[in-house]
Amino acid sequence: MDFDFTSEQLELKINTIKFAQKELNENVILRDREGSFSKDLWQKCADFGILGFPFPKEYGGADCDILTTLLIMEGLGCGCKDSGLIFSINGQMWTVQMPIFHFGTPEQKTKYLSKLCSGEWIGANGMTEPGSGSDSFALSTTAKLKGDYYLLNGAKTFITNAPTADLFIIFATTDKSKGFMGITAFLVEKGFPGLKVSKEIEKMGLKTSPMAEVILEDCKVPVENRLSKEGNGAAIFNDGIEWERSCMLASDIGVMERQLKECVKYAKERRQFNKPIGKFQAIANKIVDMKVRLETARLILYKVAWLKKTQNRAGMEAALAKLYLSESLVKSCLDAIQIHGGYGYTTEYELERDLRDSVASTLYSGTSEIQKNIIAEYLGL
Amino acid sequence: MNIISELENFLITEVSVDYGLDKKSVASDENLISSGIIDSMGILKLVSFMEKNFGIKINNEDIVPENFQTLNALKEFVEKKVKKII
Repeated sequence: MDFDFTSEQLELKINTIKFAQKELNENVILRDREGSFSKDLWQKCADFGILGFPFPKEYGGADCDILTTLLIMEGLGCGCKDSGLIFSINGQMWTVQMPIFHFGTPEQKTKYLSKLCSGEWIGANGMTEPGSGSDSFALSTTAKLKGDYYLLNGAKTFITNAPTADLFIIFATTDKSKGFMGITAFLVEKGFPGLKVSKEIEKMGLKTSPMAEVILEDCKVPVENRLSKEGNGAAIFNDGIEWERSCMLASDIGVMERQLKECVKYAKERRQFNKPIGKFQAIANKIVDMKVRLETARLILYKVAWLKKTQNRAGMEAALAKLYLSESLVKSCLDAIQIHGGYGYTTEYELERDLRDSVASTLYSGTSEIQKNIIAEYLGL
Repeated sequence: MNIISELENFLITEVSVDYGLDKKSVASDENLISSGIIDSMGILKLVSFMEKNFGIKINNEDIVPENFQTLNALKEFVEKKVKKII
């Protein structure tokens, strides 16, 4: 088993860290306070190639394999302190771009992937509804075929990127009698009649990632904008969720790596009772715990990536990764604050924002409780 | 290889039992989805089973009602996959 990355892969990660540190960390405290999304920083990420790394060159991508992409996203999380921006990027890459790439027609890929990879357009995934969160397939949004178009009616909530999105993937029921197999996915452009985005939803964290409700009132969607076949929506969602539960969290490994470095540095420099606080076991042990969680999370994530790369199903492994990584991230953030003491509680040190941002990771892409349910099912319980 | 009986046995012993369905048999034209035998989690387990048991690769775009709605539909789908028609 070879755990080494190539020198090219490591260079990509280092370059991503340098890019993020140089370009993406201005005014994060202010933007978090104001809850403002930066299109300028989004474009910088797109120009660097982040949005296109795992996609083919014909769509403006770089054709990187999944392990290389994970390493780049780790680098992004390590160098960039704006977790909201990273969350928005991840949301588009894994829940909009990847479904189009896997399930889209050549025409759909040509029309939409290039614009998404280049940063010209922003994408949003519309699955969750006020009445269906963990019970994802209990959708109320309907889609009725009327000749050469569908009419969509319903409401979606907690839609990341909705306020700034040019393109939405909307999941709707086309045949209620078929339950979860009666769900179909649609590519809905901002300008399609009948689509409205409500005012932004204010959140505890990830404040620089915009979120809103999406209302569909006789929203007219051409038949050629249906993604794959009728009834394939659940499979599209499940495919996307495996990518979400793994790749979306790669940047959180980068966050944990950054926090570990900051804590080691602080523990060596901060002196109390005439010695560095890192010499006290209570502090050293916390940092060791951070290291153990980081390396374990990495291994689980790389296993998922390897399974996806070798075109194997990774349902249970993705759930394991999501559960462990997200909960490790929250613990890492809490430890980082505790190690920094009173300073860790201040806005200036940016650790409190990391914690507020981290809590969402135990909720999105299926809550920790749902991940445990999934793992239990796979175990035959 | 009796495709229908292997699938039926899997559905009875591994899938429907999860949902408190006391199934002893599944009719070949019974609607697996509306009867509650397969739900969104069950289908993932079924797909994994089919890939391992029949040595086939199921693409996500194949996971549509016409291939999974009944045992007859599943049998036809597996046969096409085995013969590499789809």
